[in-house]
Amino acid sequence: MLTLFFENFKISLSAVYANKTRSILTALGIIIGVFSVTLMGTLISGLDRSFEQSMSMLGKDMLYVGRFEWFSDMEWWEVRSRPRMRYEYVDKIKQRSNLALAVSPVMQRGASLSYNDQETWTEIFGTNEEYMETISSDLYEGRFFSQGEDRSGSRVTIIGYGIKEAFFGEESPLDKFIKIDNVKFRVIGVLEKQGKFLGIFSADNQAILPFGAFKRIFSKRGWMRLSIKVPKEKINEGYDEITAVMRHIRRLKPSEKNDFAINQTKIFEKQYKTLKFGIAGTGYFITLLSLVVGGIGIMNIMFVSVKERTREIGVRKAIGATRGMIMVQFLMEAVTICLVAGLIGLLFAYMSSFFINKIFPSTLPIGLATFSILISMIVGILAGFIPSYRASKLDPIDSLRYE
Amino acid sequence: MSLISLKSIYKIYSVGGEEVRALDGIDLNISGNEYLAIMGPSGSGKSTLMNIVGCLDTPTSGVYEFEEEMVQDMDDSQLASIRNRKIGFVFQTFNLLPKSTAQHNVEIPLVYANIPKNDRKNMASMALKSVGLSDRKHHRPNELSGGQRQRVAIARALVNNPSIILADEPTGNLDSKSGNEIMEILDTLHKKGNTVILVTHEDEIAKHAHRIIRLFDGKIIEDLKQNY
Repeated sequence: MLTLFFENFKISLSAVYANKTRSILTALGIIIGVFSVTLMGTLISGLDRSFEQSMSMLGKDMLYVGRFEWFSDMEWWEVRSRPRMRYEYVDKIKQRSNLALAVSPVMQRGASLSYNDQETWTEIFGTNEEYMETISSDLYEGRFFSQGEDRSGSRVTIIGYGIKEAFFGEESPLDKFIKIDNVKFRVIGVLEKQGKFLGIFSADNQAILPFGAFKRIFSKRGWMRLSIKVPKEKINEGYDEITAVMRHIRRLKPSEKNDFAINQTKIFEKQYKTLKFGIAGTGYFITLLSLVVGGIGIMNIMFVSVKERTREIGVRKAIGATRGMIMVQFLMEAVTICLVAGLIGLLFAYMSSFFINKIFPSTLPIGLATFSILISMIVGILAGFIPSYRASKLDPIDSLRYE
Repeated sequence: MSLISLKSIYKIYSVGGEEVRALDGIDLNISGNEYLAIMGPSGSGKSTLMNIVGCLDTPTSGVYEFEEEMVQDMDDSQLASIRNRKIGFVFQTFNLLPKSTAQHNVEIPLVYANIPKNDRKNMASMALKSVGLSDRKHHRPNELSGGQRQRVAIARALVNNPSIILADEPTGNLDSKSGNEIMEILDTLHKKGNTVILVTHEDEIAKHAHRIIRLFDGKIIEDLKQNY
């Protein structure tokens, strides 16, 4: 049986090789199909990885209280009149909440940063001494500011790793003075390297200031959100408790709707999943179409091949081939075309994933490669089945007479 | 003991509602090492008889025993196996695979018999040697003359050591010189103990055989043993 298998494989290879142009043209559909299936999977797995990485920056034990929902189907006019977050909420929440482990207010704006004659544009954050507990990264060197420094409005700052590299290189930035919008700040710490958030915003390009200094120098009014850390396993209870506390602070009647929003990573995930299924769904549907088209092409060429070789089939039967053997021969021919096409498609996808990687994170997992090869083989079997079955059923006498 | 035994074989087609008796009650026994020619005008049923003897077709009714095996009840794969092991076909149009070398063409029956590669090579080489084509092993059919092609086909027919060689107009597409060469090879095969069945309409060719059967309208009208 194995002899026969190899022999059939050799026959199909030589049949494919004998009709090079035709085989390649036929295989084009499958090449494109496998190429897009692989590329699609590559993109999605890349997307997954970068999303996972970004989400780890936020933390699954965090609640973010602000004026607006991150993703909302509410109309703008419904939410525009919501009151701002206020600094006093921090203490009020701490007093009333049992689950809040850390509460920090965060204000944010863009600012120019300079050191000697170097200058850069960056995001600056004003917050309190509990901030480090609400983010997932650590300090690379130095220290965070204390409550005292916050209250007294000390001009100290913790800078992102990217800024350290740009301004100081290998030198230590600690106790050096940088200018933020022309106001001098002393660097007391550096955040560890984090990478980009959702591929957009670099977490390494930021500076953190004590809330007191931030508010006095840069912004009396401005958008503020509260980052609240709760025990991971009690994220849902935390959500309910903080909602109740906020409603109490805002003195809302039971009939009134919330005039604030509590966001969590979960919402991002939900949103991301919808997006991902959208992309994947459309992508795989188109891919499936191209595979079907490719499969029809293969089926067509197999019909031609069977017709052309009717006499050969007759001869093979006369000298002892059974129906099964003829069937296997033609099936393997179809599978061989598809397999070769699949490998070519995979090669193209592999090469393009290098280029795509430059603009968008992407990887080609080995499982996906195996999957697409499997898919092309299945297409080969499905497309080759009817032509091969017909070949096997041909009457030897008629086929021998066929001109 | 007969090698082949046909008892009241009928092959009936219906063409446009009309019954056509291609074979109309054939009784025939063929023993081992016979050299037999089947003759008759076209439409006499000689091709149908050959197809049935060659296990390419089954009769509508009647009993066909091949080495005491009942052929008429066999399914496709059993028939394929008989064709593979017991029968060697030689066709008028050679019917070699055009893209394979002589060597590979001769090996194909052995592939279907599931014989290991090395044995296959040796057996095919020996078969090609016996028809005098050792130096043409790696040529493709289009690089060979008609006579050489037919010799490759004979090598393919006998490579599996079949019980009978069934030659359907083996010289029909050849000039007389090549035709004579082919007939010499068939004569030699018979002398070595093979059973050879010729289907032909040429008296010259039929003369090589020791027994001549004439068909007309699906019936045997003459069964003549010649002495040589």
